[in-house]
Amino acid sequence: MSKKKVPVIDIDRTIYDIKDKENASFKVSKGLTPDIVRQISVEKNDPKWMLDFRLKSLEVYNRLKLPVWGPSLHELDMDNIVTYVRPDTEMRGNWSEVPDDIKNTFERLGIPKAERDYLAGVGAQYDSEVVYHSVRDEVVKQGVIYTDMESAIKEYPDIVKSHFMKLVKPEDHKFAALHGAVWSGGSFVYVPAGVKVSIPLQSYFRLNAPGAGQFEHTLIIVEKGASLHFIEGCSAPKYNVTNLHAGCVELYVGEGASLRYSTIENWSKNMMNLNTKRARVEKNGKIEWISGSFGSKVSMLYPMSILSGEGAKAEFTGITFAGQGQTLDTGANIVHDAPHTYSVVNARSISKDGGVSIFRGGVTVTEKARQSKSSVSCESLMLDSISRSDTIPAMDIRNDESDVGHEARIGRISDDAIYYLMSRGISEPDARALIVRGFADPVAKELPMEYAVEMNNLINLEMENHSTGLKGGKE
Amino acid sequence: MDMQVNLKEFNTLPAKTWRWIGVNGGELDLTVPSIQPYKFQPFSGQVPDGAEIYNIIKDGIVFMNDESDPTIPPEVVKFMRTNHNSGYFIHIASGKRIEKPIVLDYKLELKAPSVLDDNVIIAEEGSEATVVLHYASQEQLEGFHFGMTKLIAKRDAHIKLVLVQMLGESCQQFDTIGAIAQDKGHIEIVSAELGGKRAFLNCKTRLAGSKSAFDMGVIYFGDGKRKIDIGIVSEHQGKNTQSKIEAHGALLDDSEKIFRGTIDFKRGSSGSKGREAETTMLLGQHVRNRTAPLILCAEEDVDGRHAASIGHVDENRLFYLMSRGLSESEAKKLLIEAAFSPVTAKIPVPTFRQEISDYLIERLNKIEKI
Repeated sequence: MSKKKVPVIDIDRTIYDIKDKENASFKVSKGLTPDIVRQISVEKNDPKWMLDFRLKSLEVYNRLKLPVWGPSLHELDMDNIVTYVRPDTEMRGNWSEVPDDIKNTFERLGIPKAERDYLAGVGAQYDSEVVYHSVRDEVVKQGVIYTDMESAIKEYPDIVKSHFMKLVKPEDHKFAALHGAVWSGGSFVYVPAGVKVSIPLQSYFRLNAPGAGQFEHTLIIVEKGASLHFIEGCSAPKYNVTNLHAGCVELYVGEGASLRYSTIENWSKNMMNLNTKRARVEKNGKIEWISGSFGSKVSMLYPMSILSGEGAKAEFTGITFAGQGQTLDTGANIVHDAPHTYSVVNARSISKDGGVSIFRGGVTVTEKARQSKSSVSCESLMLDSISRSDTIPAMDIRNDESDVGHEARIGRISDDAIYYLMSRGISEPDARALIVRGFADPVAKELPMEYAVEMNNLINLEMENHSTGLKGGKE
Repeated sequence: MDMQVNLKEFNTLPAKTWRWIGVNGGELDLTVPSIQPYKFQPFSGQVPDGAEIYNIIKDGIVFMNDESDPTIPPEVVKFMRTNHNSGYFIHIASGKRIEKPIVLDYKLELKAPSVLDDNVIIAEEGSEATVVLHYASQEQLEGFHFGMTKLIAKRDAHIKLVLVQMLGESCQQFDTIGAIAQDKGHIEIVSAELGGKRAFLNCKTRLAGSKSAFDMGVIYFGDGKRKIDIGIVSEHQGKNTQSKIEAHGALLDDSEKIFRGTIDFKRGSSGSKGREAETTMLLGQHVRNRTAPLILCAEEDVDGRHAASIGHVDENRLFYLMSRGLSESEAKKLLIEAAFSPVTAKIPVPTFRQEISDYLIERLNKIEKI
């Protein structure tokens, strides 16, 4: 069967690109100075230690350079990014009180429905402020704390102070420092020892004002023997000004505890998504990352799992779909720092329409981590010849009792598979869409239903466009 | 007088990653001992029919200014062109297939502690040849070896280059290979990196012509405090090109190794295939093994795969062999030899194969004294 090129046109993003009128009551001047940081701190009513922390982070930010590796960040001009925008709305506990234009956008994205159906709570972040927040009674009854970060600092100062940016330190990299200086909003979850939260907690972030950065902080502590599933999803309307997202996620998984952290990221294609996520797992604990990256112009996202207790486990399952104008540099980082630790990474990526997807992985096995095992598998699919797909894994093993395996594949949709499906009466476009959905299945099956549906919708949209490009394409 | 040299872009990872993981490579700092003319004649055989073999020093060969070579960093080319003290120009005439390997045997000893060999091998259309470069030294010699070898396989030509590096524990070892294959050209490289205090191997092959092929087999052995640094790049430019990189190694004691293997599918390399496989046996509590197997891809119609497996010796196998009466070191040696065999089998000189086997026994016996 001879090979043939298929033109692939771009996704119709109109259902995601809903713009609201910019309606902010407060906006700081552009650029980043100690004064701005102080101003944010005052607005947030920060305790003294947090102001000090912000100013220290700003110093680190000014000192650190941009990374020498990874996608180009030349479009990022921090002097032109309004770092903090607060929408004109107060905290709401009742959905009906949320302003209509904000509500409409959320409804188009399916949030309230998901919440009504079975989710425990919604911490939907609109611009840089949490605008809507509710937690189901039964979760509270179990002793679970689920609140926004600002409230957490005031209500649970000791817990926050001893965990906030202790895992991701401002010194780690420039954007972690930036986050430390200007962070606002985000979620705080504390699950007491032994509590199993049976329903997933959900937080949906939205970015709205042009040129606004979003620096939400997520801090989750799952105590000994407890378990939690936390879902984070992102979708933002398209604007012409480059947007920056430099959030930070810190997850503490206690002894024998388990945490599943699921994300569907669907930022608009002008977003620079430079997010830092990290988990520390104690003895026999388990972290699971489920990650779907679809949106943004540039992403640099590599959740790190530090297995610091004996028998700790990490699993990462991710898919990245890069289309026109996108450079999605994603992956996972695992640090085995205790004996008998175990990790599995399963990453998949799809590139089309000139999109660039990069898998970047790291597995470190320290001298202490005797008898540890790690397995990394990475598959990439190229849908045309103007796109790009790179696999950049690295492993560092420092003892002789561990086993580390890595495998990667890169290629196109096989002609044989298409031929087989077509011989069963399926049209070529449908066959291609079917194969791509199948390719994404390891991620989809790990997601709760509405998210799996949203992800499948995204893939369908991409592939429908792909199909229209196929008209008359038969040989 | 010693000379301090800093070579940029040596074993640089073609796409950089996190600095802290330590695989980006990039700069090579060298202390080059004063360079004396190399007095010996590494080539002692008969020149086969169809080949021309020139000693670049004795025969006064001057390589044209080719510092813009796409496969070897310019600073390395410049360094070698200025400082070489030996080397060969080997030319295989069109259509000639030379059966017998051409062996160049370098010995480093007190009278000649440094070898900087600058080799160019050109195989004309439809020709075929095997060249073996063998490096050995006196046991305690603080020797220095830096080799640069350029290979050009023209249409339908086949060059097999075999490097056997068995230098002593106090030697510094550097090798850089740059190869270009034209249409249906085939580059085959076998490298045994077994000695040296620190051993660097840098190899890049550009598959420029359609249906050209590259096969690379590497074995390495780390013991004591040896540091091994390997970088291999297979660059697919032509259509329907094929590459296969396989590396097998064993690390003992406090040895360290970095292996970077890259399959790079350039736009236009449709129909190409790349394979990369690495296995590393870890046999010492303080070893450090770093691996970065990359696939870079700018073409849809390609098929690239890599696999790496790093870990301890399979205890069941060891137990089985020991239950059959082998000592632990004999059993380990057998397992290492088995892992190496796909590569060692490609070494065409039986005495060199035996030398490698003896070397492994000697090394492993040393360890078992504990």
